[in-house]
Amino acid sequence: MSNSVGFKDRLSERMKGKKTRTFLLTLLVVIVTLLPLGVNNYVEEVMTNTFFYIILALGLNIVIGYAGLVDLGYAAFFAVGAYTTGILMKYGLNFWLTIPIAVIFCVIAGIIIGGPTLRLRSDYLAIVTLGFGEITRITARNLKITGGASGLVGIQRPSIFGHKLYQISDFYYTFFVLVILAIIVSLRIYHSRLGRAWQYIREDEDAAEAMGIDPVKTKLYAYMIGAAFGGVAGAFFAVKMTAISPETFAFTQSAMILLAVILGGMGKIPGAILGAVFLVFFPEIFREIGQMRMLLFGILLVIIMVFRPQGLWPERKN
Amino acid sequence: MSKKFLSMLAVTILSFTVIVTGCGTQGSAPSGTSSNSSDTQSTAGSGDIKIGLPLPMTGSEATYGKDMENAIKMAVDEVNAKGGINGKKLATVTGDDACDPQQATAAANKLVSEGVVAIVGGYCSGAVVPTLTIYNEKNLPFIVEAANSSKITDQNPGNTFQINGTAVHQTQKAVELFKKLGAKNVAIVEQGDAYSSDLAKQTEAAWKAAGNTVVSHDVTTKGEQDFSSLVTSLKSKNADLVFWTAYYADGALLIKQLRQGGYKGSIVVGDGSSDPKLIQMAGAAGEGTYVLSPPVAEFLPSAKQFADAYKAKFNQTPGAYAPLAYDGINLLADAMKRAGSTDGKAVIKALTETKDFPGLAGKVTFAPNKTLQESNFIVLQIKNGQFVLQ
Amino acid sequence: MHAMTVFYIIIQQLVNGLILGSFYSLVALGYSMVYGIIKLLNFAHGDIYMVGAFVGFGALGIFGGALGIGWLGITVALVISMVLVGLLGIVIHRVAYQPLLNKNAPRMSLLITAVGVSFTLFNAVMVMTSGEYKAFTTSLGYDGISVGPVNITYTQIIMVVATAVLMLCLYWFINRTMYGKAMRAIALDQDACRLMGINVTKTISLTFFVGSALAAAAGVMAGVYYGSIQFYMGFIIGLKAFTAAVIGGIGSIPGAMLGGLILGLLETAGTQLPFVGSAWKDVFTFGILILLLVTKPTGILGKSEIERM
Repeated sequence: MSNSVGFKDRLSERMKGKKTRTFLLTLLVVIVTLLPLGVNNYVEEVMTNTFFYIILALGLNIVIGYAGLVDLGYAAFFAVGAYTTGILMKYGLNFWLTIPIAVIFCVIAGIIIGGPTLRLRSDYLAIVTLGFGEITRITARNLKITGGASGLVGIQRPSIFGHKLYQISDFYYTFFVLVILAIIVSLRIYHSRLGRAWQYIREDEDAAEAMGIDPVKTKLYAYMIGAAFGGVAGAFFAVKMTAISPETFAFTQSAMILLAVILGGMGKIPGAILGAVFLVFFPEIFREIGQMRMLLFGILLVIIMVFRPQGLWPERKN
Repeated sequence: MSKKFLSMLAVTILSFTVIVTGCGTQGSAPSGTSSNSSDTQSTAGSGDIKIGLPLPMTGSEATYGKDMENAIKMAVDEVNAKGGINGKKLATVTGDDACDPQQATAAANKLVSEGVVAIVGGYCSGAVVPTLTIYNEKNLPFIVEAANSSKITDQNPGNTFQINGTAVHQTQKAVELFKKLGAKNVAIVEQGDAYSSDLAKQTEAAWKAAGNTVVSHDVTTKGEQDFSSLVTSLKSKNADLVFWTAYYADGALLIKQLRQGGYKGSIVVGDGSSDPKLIQMAGAAGEGTYVLSPPVAEFLPSAKQFADAYKAKFNQTPGAYAPLAYDGINLLADAMKRAGSTDGKAVIKALTETKDFPGLAGKVTFAPNKTLQESNFIVLQIKNGQFVLQ
Repeated sequence: MHAMTVFYIIIQQLVNGLILGSFYSLVALGYSMVYGIIKLLNFAHGDIYMVGAFVGFGALGIFGGALGIGWLGITVALVISMVLVGLLGIVIHRVAYQPLLNKNAPRMSLLITAVGVSFTLFNAVMVMTSGEYKAFTTSLGYDGISVGPVNITYTQIIMVVATAVLMLCLYWFINRTMYGKAMRAIALDQDACRLMGINVTKTISLTFFVGSALAAAAGVMAGVYYGSIQFYMGFIIGLKAFTAAVIGGIGSIPGAMLGGLILGLLETAGTQLPFVGSAWKDVFTFGILILLLVTKPTGILGKSEIERM
């Protein structure tokens, strides 16, 4: 596919150098950390939103990219996380305590959804996960405890070490920290035994089974971890927005997160990040053209997939 | 990346930019605005008073957003023609919320960062609620003109004023109407969104509290066209009256299918369906349907001048929320004059103290919870293909 | 108004379910055919249905003056829509899907491309109509036959008959023509077909043509029957038809027909049942779908397969 020699190759060789990479990464972190000092609320809001989607994309990346499972209903985990936090806080529970509870509920949800269905072929799995996504949304809409169609409103803002999180810059840094955590966790898992097990299963499931790996259990772990990511993201989302409603967790949301992962390049951490950035930046940059921007998005999606199905982030040659 | 891919990408983006720029600068779309949802539509000079307008400019509710924006801009032009406020001119900045809570939050932050001093607008309740605290944190007065969920009233952090009738007001009107029509067993149908659900639940509670029966409370899915099973279900429960609390497009379908299925009881629809298109789409089946409506220009004697001016400027009749949208700006201007400044807290105080402000839709005085003291909902009926005031 | 006894309620709901089911069947057929031949869940299929409705609307607008807006006008609009949208299906196949098939791209990429196509169609129509609903006016009325409190209009009867006719045509096409045979063969073993000289790509295009034409027919009929169309209408029906195809056994043509009817009946029952009701009927439907997939994933008429993943 790449057909130019010379400058491009030398550049990519340079980029692969470990020193260069570390330098660029540090530069990026510094820029991101200092950004709020120089920009207005709106830019901070967009960046925070981006961080949020990066976390979700990394979570789904574990499910789709590492374990190779098709999930069209990822928003369900995000919903469980958000609603758990919202409901518990209405009963007066401290925000930070709701996070582990939200994660537990999400993991349970992951087991419920994944348990009976992970044996299925990928296309069927896709439909089932879609169905669960819709079931979660409709349930949230119908039940009184989740606030019905109007959802939960008036969720309190949390405080950390006495400092209340309510300004956009507070959430900017909070989510940024979460992104870093998510990246670290993703990396550790990738290089762990579990991560390798997923790779074997993706290559050849039968051979992996012969080697003693239980495919269903291994895939289930992917699901549970992905669910946990969604749960954490959801919990923080609830307190940032202070109001959550079922519409936020519709299929469109799951599709968006899926898009981010695939567009950037499945299974690659920088890919998921790039995908999330593209996903958030694109509609904002093109806000001016209003209705046309989603149309452009659709067309670009097709073009990118047709010409570069492996995603936007370059393949690592190893 | 391959050359072919890059070139295709470049071509697409370039052509889009060209098309869009071309369309954007070519002049008015039928609704009279030159660019549908541009957030930088403001022609503000540095001394201008900027007002933020959170409205659905894209998506399924875009026609309402555009209609309200038109009326607001007309009011702004009139105020400016009379010299502006305290010597300064008004300017508007529209923020597209696309009737979605997440986009509304982003739009709200964008408006705030553009330095607006007041907020006027709000059509979708679900999109308004999460933004209340964002505006309140900067002490921006928010005049809500169409979104009428009671959640807005409940969650009002102190800066929000609803000049439209709220769900509470509408429920009162509905119950009154049901009694007048002699109904005993009422069936309520909503669409599972914040607005219709709120109205449905409030009406159910109020009707039951008055000692009557609600035989069923159903939820339909937006976009689904087939109501036949619902119709049969309603018939089987012997409802004398069906109350539809969501929007006109699906409402029209429900009305058609109810009549087609032989339903003979009364049909009442809420203000989300009060649109002339309801008549067009329901056709003959719509005859006799009762409609709860915000004060529409057609039936306001004081609004004839407004309606004519709107028609002349935008080439179409003003929509259901145009008079309220227009009133919102004038009320804000009045409050700013009374406060003598554009400082948020001062304007909020002035708004709270509003007494008998003469709007197109009636006199505005706020109750302690910052909603109208008197409801301004009216009851219409479809007769001979037209809305007729009851 | 006659009081409705349980018996009549059941009959009426059965009628409702069958009519709804026929729409689902027509759209489900397209899903099943495409899946059967290239193992792709064509996300854009629901939007094809929507585009079909709009093309029919446009055609009726153009020819309605000359041919009137009664059955003649409608039939002409229907045919025009089927042909044009069928061709659109071919274009989509050639532009968006075939290049990926040629590259043996991962299935996920095909799925995403389908999402992209869906987005494009959905937003293109939204932009062109400014999100407005269009009233699909025809001169059809509500006359029909009544058996006690049960009503069936002539329009409904014609719809069901038309659907049955289309499905019979499809059946004949698949089982009695060379093209149909080629489609079935490719679904079984693509490489063998190539070796035997069958132009696989052309046959796939043909599959898209037929599937899209059927969806377009359903779209026009929906427009005529319900009376209004909007850019959003493809989304829900896509999901439902998807479900129907899976219930009947995805990849199986009689399965799609059966699945559609079953789904229509399930949903209708869900609305009437006291412990489900309209608010939960989709949960009810999805629940049954999931149960079915977990116990018998190949659906009712699908073939049992030993293949995994």
